[in-house]
Amino acid sequence: MIEDGARRGLGWGEAWRIARRDLNGRFKGLRLLLVCIFLGTAALAAIGTLTASIERELQSSGRVLLGGDLEVEVWQRDLSEDELDALSEYGRVSGGYRMQAMATTPDAAAPVELKAVDENWPLFGTFTLADGTAPGAPTANDAYLAQGALDRLDIQVGDEFRVGTTTLNAAGVIETEPDRLSEGFQLGPTVLVAQEVPGAAGLIQPGSLYQSKYRVAFAEDTRDPEGVEEALTEAFPTAGFDFRTRDRASPGADRFVGRMSDFLTLVGLAALVIAGIGIAGGVSSYLDQRRASIATLKVLGASSRDIVRIYALQIAAAALLGSALGLTAGVLVTPLLGAALQGLLPVESGFVIEPAPLLLAGAYGLLVAFAFAAAPLLRARAFPAMALMRSRIVPLARDRRALAATGAGLAAICALALFTTGQTLLTAGFLAGAGAALVALAGLGLALQYAARKLPRPSNPLLRSALANIHRPGAPTSALVTALGFGLAAFVLLAAVQSAIGGNIESRVPREAPDYFVIDVPPERETEFRELVTEPFPDAQINAVPTLRGAILAYGPEGDMQRVADLEEIPEGAWVLNGERGITYADAPPTGSRVVEGTWWNPLHEGEGLVSIDREFADAVGLEVGDMLTVGILGSERDVRIANLREIDWETMGFNFTLVFSRNAISDAPHKLAATIELPAAADTEARAQLLRDLVQAFPSSSVVEVGEVLVQARTLLEQVGLATLAAAAVAVLAGIAVLMGAIAAARAARTYDTVVLRVMGASRRQILGLQLAEYSLIAAALALVALALGSGLAWVIITQLFEFDWLPDWGVVLAVLGLGLATVLAFAIGGSLPLLRAKPAQALREL
Amino acid sequence: MTNPADAPARSVPDAKPALAIHVRDLSLTLGSASAPVEILKGIDLDIAHGEVVALLGPSGSGKSSLMAVLSGLERASGGSLTVAGQDFARLDEDGLAAARRGRIGIVLQAFHLLPTMTAAENVATPMELAGARDASERAVAELAAVGLGHRTDHYPTQLSGGEQQRVAIARAIAPGPALIFADEPTGNLDVATGEEIVDLLFARRAETGATLLIITHDPKLAARCERVLTMADGVIVSDGSGARGVREAAE
Repeated sequence: MIEDGARRGLGWGEAWRIARRDLNGRFKGLRLLLVCIFLGTAALAAIGTLTASIERELQSSGRVLLGGDLEVEVWQRDLSEDELDALSEYGRVSGGYRMQAMATTPDAAAPVELKAVDENWPLFGTFTLADGTAPGAPTANDAYLAQGALDRLDIQVGDEFRVGTTTLNAAGVIETEPDRLSEGFQLGPTVLVAQEVPGAAGLIQPGSLYQSKYRVAFAEDTRDPEGVEEALTEAFPTAGFDFRTRDRASPGADRFVGRMSDFLTLVGLAALVIAGIGIAGGVSSYLDQRRASIATLKVLGASSRDIVRIYALQIAAAALLGSALGLTAGVLVTPLLGAALQGLLPVESGFVIEPAPLLLAGAYGLLVAFAFAAAPLLRARAFPAMALMRSRIVPLARDRRALAATGAGLAAICALALFTTGQTLLTAGFLAGAGAALVALAGLGLALQYAARKLPRPSNPLLRSALANIHRPGAPTSALVTALGFGLAAFVLLAAVQSAIGGNIESRVPREAPDYFVIDVPPERETEFRELVTEPFPDAQINAVPTLRGAILAYGPEGDMQRVADLEEIPEGAWVLNGERGITYADAPPTGSRVVEGTWWNPLHEGEGLVSIDREFADAVGLEVGDMLTVGILGSERDVRIANLREIDWETMGFNFTLVFSRNAISDAPHKLAATIELPAAADTEARAQLLRDLVQAFPSSSVVEVGEVLVQARTLLEQVGLATLAAAAVAVLAGIAVLMGAIAAARAARTYDTVVLRVMGASRRQILGLQLAEYSLIAAALALVALALGSGLAWVIITQLFEFDWLPDWGVVLAVLGLGLATVLAFAIGGSLPLLRAKPAQALREL
Repeated sequence: MTNPADAPARSVPDAKPALAIHVRDLSLTLGSASAPVEILKGIDLDIAHGEVVALLGPSGSGKSSLMAVLSGLERASGGSLTVAGQDFARLDEDGLAAARRGRIGIVLQAFHLLPTMTAAENVATPMELAGARDASERAVAELAAVGLGHRTDHYPTQLSGGEQQRVAIARAIAPGPALIFADEPTGNLDVATGEEIVDLLFARRAETGATLLIITHDPKLAARCERVLTMADGVIVSDGSGARGVREAAE
């Protein structure tokens, strides 16, 4: 019985019953909304989960990754007894060396990374061999090798090989090295030996290039590593310590995680904005399709409040389903992303459920759905029952409440984004940029409409119709322009980022790189070294320079110098001040650099020590020609005057030293030479291998680095970055495609009527297709430039600001991909009207 | 079933509750302010409870607009209008929707069934909107009454035109409305099916005792009505009974 015909309206339960019935379980018409929310939340869930799990891993296993709570690193020397005593006060210490070395057998030679450790290693985590045993640190002449070293030497476990002047026993194959990630970039496979081996093998001599690493496991867990770092710096201000703490176990990984997570945040936000536009389009077109149903429900007595309830419930159901599917997909896809980053970052394999990012992604999805669905939903409320009897293309008036609801939703999204990001500035910048882009695109839409209205009316009826479609009352031009603009921008973004990363890979692999770097060549045997190479290869290019390690301790005008130890923060661009780095002396400006201020010294210069410094560094700390530097070399301080500034071309794969001294300033310090060898391209493999063996035999304490190997590693690293960005950016493109489809579907609802009427009036299918093409070509042409600017602008930020790569996009590729995007637009536009075109006019009329 | 006339009504001073429809100086103007189009021009009309009225007239004479205003689908621009005891002139769009709920049944030429719902669901919807708890049972019963007991779970696209219109009639009648409006209910049907539908509509109306206003071009159908109104150019030009009314209309 009908108890109260005049009651206010449906309760939520009753509204849901009608909503569910109308939905029919298949979400037909709401699928675009579903897809957009799915893509947006999936992207955010995957990105959030990945970043959170990497960060957690870095934090929780920081001391395992670092191999201690604190690491102190010095070059070319051991810690003094005082220093070691000071360190031991905080807990158990494990010391050791890292250096490049050559491992040899009578038939083979392989450059390896020698890691010498004491009996306390590893302080944290477990070192395991391939056979499953965990033997701890190697003893005596046993060595554990990475599989790559065994392969290069062509030996088995149990065989012998030599490093320097010592014979070692290959005692096992390394499976897991707990502190691997903190060791950084590797120039060869690892050979793990006891701490005494390098000394015994003659690899530790004054001037040899090696690192000493000391790690401490604090006796008290609660001790703050940073505090210890400060205390040690204060106690030994000139020691040139490089510190690492368990919170920054792998600064490379940390920085990379930071950049990657910034990038992923940007991609996530972009996907969200694009998905939001798709959602708005999806809801609009859905409600448009439902106009007849809404009007019918109103005829049957539904109030506007009932209509809002019924359709809000449907949209909420689709949003919830889309979010749930998106979150699931996000969790499922994370291991794939993780696999792509394996070795680069500490990623747990397998599925990870991180509640916080999932909640956040879900909240974003629902908020976006709310913000972008509110306007069309509230507009549908005003849809009159009489519409059943009138034209269906009547535009609805704008609703102020819709504006308020959308504004509130967007404000909530922005607030959520800003509160939850670690990168407030970046996020705020992106949101502001996206907002500006939205406004600009909406403006462009209005401008297009204005232009279409002002253009002289073409005599061709189809062209006239195409123009009219753009500017007639209620034309969805602004929505279409916004959606297509962002959608196409996603294509451009992907192409520009990918091709710029590719460009960096190419440009960073120099065309003319030397074949070998040789370090620790005794200066007194330079002639012998050169002859050894030029005898088999007379055309070989050899460039040998002295190398030492030194740290800048103070800088500035004479009498008013700044101690580096007193700096609270290293100025931007003055990375040279961070600890020790390679230095050299020379009689003439090195190749690859150019004196831009001051003059080079006379080769026979005597008296005050002089130095030439990198201009960028000078600019960063305000140094001028005539100012002074105090440099610490092997524990002694030297004052030198700045004679000139140089511009350095870092792209050349040669010796690029920030600090080049006059011979008299530092040549008395014990040092060795480093050399590059460039062999003629025609040199065959056997001859090269023979050269390697000869070098190792003649110079057992020198180490050779194969540049090719390094380049392969660098390339692999960059390619991994490329792969990860591709995977992430693909989400934005998918969202872009969904949005394109949605926008076109929404616009098509309005076009259907025209198409049918034109068909009735005798327009051929070809003519109608021409009409669609003309209209979309017009809009797409206007948008191509905007999308290009928008997409490449964001790509520029990502490449130059986030990854600090060079801006090297392949514009050919970018334009081709943009063309592909435009073709997609046209294909969707035409594809969508094909069913109507295939139908006979009478049938099409019935389907109206 | 509550008599809709008993429902709370905001009556105007000259309302006559005995009438199902009471209209004075009713006007409807559409279009923009700069180009107004007068659709209805000062219509006076009284229809008694239970009356069966045909509304004739050429295309564009304002028949459908008059029906839209009387059924609350459109708000009048001027004049007074009391339908089923409620002052429609004072109600906004939502007020009109509430006034229709359960009291006014509408049958349209193009059926306008909800394509996503089954026949039974279509019939149940207006009752559910009006808060009926037994909507589903009554929908099935009403479908059986219009001869579609075996088609309750079919979707509109699975039904013939005649069957769809039967569902529409069931949907209009099931809530037990005091007033039924039918806008050319046979316009989309062949002659034989059209006659069946009209027989059904009249039979179901007779059982419920509702007032029926039917717009038609068909003189035979009009002749079956107690009263025939003829419209031309936005005004009622003749008002007669049965066959005589039809003859007057023809003249």
